[in-house]
Amino acid sequence: MSATVPVRSKSVALLGIGKTFGTVRVLRDLSLEVHPGEFLVLLGESGCGKTTALRIIAGLEAASEGRVQIGGEDVTERLPKDRDVAMVFQSYALYPHKTVAQNIAYPLTIRRMAHAAIDAQVKEVAQSVQLAHLLDRYPRQLSGGQRQRVALARAIVRRPSVFLMDEPLSNLDAKLRGHMRAELKHMQYELGITTIYVTHDQIEAMTLAHRVALMDKGVLQQLAPPAHIYSDPANLFVAGFIGSPPMNFLRGRLADGIFQAPGVRVTTSRSLDGAEVILGVRPEDCTLADPSRAQLQGRIYSIELIGDHTLVTLKAGEQEVVVKAPNIFSGEMGGSIGLCVNPERVYLFRAQSGERIRG
Amino acid sequence: MKRIPALFVPRRLNELAYGVKLVVYALLLLWTAIVLFPLYWLVITSFKLPIDVADGPNYLPFVDFTPSLHAWKYIFFDLGRDTLRPYVNSVVVSSVATVVAVLIGSMAAYGLARIEYRPSVGAVAMFVISTAAAASLMFWGGANWLLAIASGAAVFFILLRVLAKRFRRRLGNDDILFWVISQRILPPVVTAIPIYLMFKQLGLLDTRTALVITYATVNLPIVVWLMFDFFSAVPSELEESAQIDGASRFGIFFDIALPLVKPGLVATSLLVLILCWNEYLLALFLSTAEAQTMPLLVAAQNATRGPQWWYMSVLIVIMICPVIVLTVTLQRFITKGLLVGAIKG
Repeated sequence: MSATVPVRSKSVALLGIGKTFGTVRVLRDLSLEVHPGEFLVLLGESGCGKTTALRIIAGLEAASEGRVQIGGEDVTERLPKDRDVAMVFQSYALYPHKTVAQNIAYPLTIRRMAHAAIDAQVKEVAQSVQLAHLLDRYPRQLSGGQRQRVALARAIVRRPSVFLMDEPLSNLDAKLRGHMRAELKHMQYELGITTIYVTHDQIEAMTLAHRVALMDKGVLQQLAPPAHIYSDPANLFVAGFIGSPPMNFLRGRLADGIFQAPGVRVTTSRSLDGAEVILGVRPEDCTLADPSRAQLQGRIYSIELIGDHTLVTLKAGEQEVVVKAPNIFSGEMGGSIGLCVNPERVYLFRAQSGERIRG
Repeated sequence: MKRIPALFVPRRLNELAYGVKLVVYALLLLWTAIVLFPLYWLVITSFKLPIDVADGPNYLPFVDFTPSLHAWKYIFFDLGRDTLRPYVNSVVVSSVATVVAVLIGSMAAYGLARIEYRPSVGAVAMFVISTAAAASLMFWGGANWLLAIASGAAVFFILLRVLAKRFRRRLGNDDILFWVISQRILPPVVTAIPIYLMFKQLGLLDTRTALVITYATVNLPIVVWLMFDFFSAVPSELEESAQIDGASRFGIFFDIALPLVKPGLVATSLLVLILCWNEYLLALFLSTAEAQTMPLLVAAQNATRGPQWWYMSVLIVIMICPVIVLTVTLQRFITKGLLVGAIKG
């Protein structure tokens, strides 16, 4: 696994993909392009169609409409084995009656490669994922993390032009998941193989991806680099999905560029008079202040010390706002308090459509 | 993966109270005696003289009667080749029929478990109509059978092209599976005569071939039905993974699916083998001398002089031996937990 391996990774393009199961539409006009060598994460809640999209790329599922291209070639009608992709399943899908070595070798055995060459490649790949000492074991004798690595090794050994990964880390415990995440990122960097990765975990998406494709109800919401998707969300859904704790949303009206709601008055640079809007501000972009000098007045609803910071929930009128405060916060529950927001970091959305209102 | 709920939580016998344990053991002992007694009776009868059998129940050798090898001598030496031939017939017919039934049946079951079939009712109806037309052409029209089949096929394809699209209703895999098992609804007695006539027409009466074909066919539904469940239990992700790894449908079947259902395969084979081995009725119709199987030989001991229990017992003893040996040897393959490690961490 060195940089001398010829990189033959390919681009992947989805053109107007739609998919219906019976009467249920799971994908709607999905179009996106993945560049060669890119790490793209399909992010979304379960049922948003991200796994279906991956399965359509793999060829395990036929699209109801639209085309799939890999490396510029139309592969819509091709069988999975003729698409030169490798897939890591959420459940790993190891062959339980084969040893680790046989599992890893399977894609090569199928292609009737010479035994010596298979042995050499299996050893090399096993070495790179630290499985060399486990080659004679059976999957049932391995731990979750080891099974995970066998599944990865089986995908790598073939040097495919595209990796497809369906929540590969979700069956691991939290600690191991963090470790494997870093390994995965490094591996992708070294191999330089185009990777499409499905997850519902925004941390995984933010840390791994070159670009994140956020999906909801079968529709692509935004396709952008992680930093971008965090700082410049396209709509209410994206703004609410990314970030932990999530962005605060306040309902109100816009008049003379001023957002107004009970107990809230925020000056914005947008002029959209009388419109019903939703103001979004992240907990980390708010600071607590004296009520008299603040844009928002309310009472402290709860205080949660997390460790390096404190989460303070305020109630302004009927609406709740969560603020990330320093861990030495000294307020008391029920006390009155004010809030200042950074006007640069305030987002406005149309209340009806959830569409972003840009300045 | 679906988890199969345990019907009851197994408890160790030595966790039970002393009194309960005593009752449990007593019941188990009683049941063992009930199960084993016929076998015991069979074995001692094979060593009895006709007089000891006629004399009323004699239970203990050397006490109630003096064991004799006369029946064994008769079966092995006096009958000799006439015992060996049916024995070889039974072995060949049962094993070949089992292999054929299990191979074809497994493939059918795999197809039904993994591929969605949607035959239209119209197409099925048209197939039935054309087959009936071909048959009547042959029987009443006196047509050559090749001509009949050819015209039947032609009628079928024309009807299919012209009319099949008008039928909306389609059948699914469940219907096919039910149709397969429905082949066993008719009692064998009812089908025996048509089968007899068919093989008479083909000139295959009293051959092993006829028995192999018949046994494989009548046991196919059982194989399909049992193996369908075993194949359905294999996680489809394993096969999808193999598909992406580059395996063909047949490759997946032989490389992935079949090894994973080995316990089911062994159990099913054993069941089919025993059914073939013990089959009497169809063998009675299809064989007279050359292809005679063991059950017929056993029944033949019920001669004009009345049932000859001693000969019958010897034959039954040598008939059940291979089945017992096979069951004991194959039992270790019928294990659970083969899928452990396939999916989930």
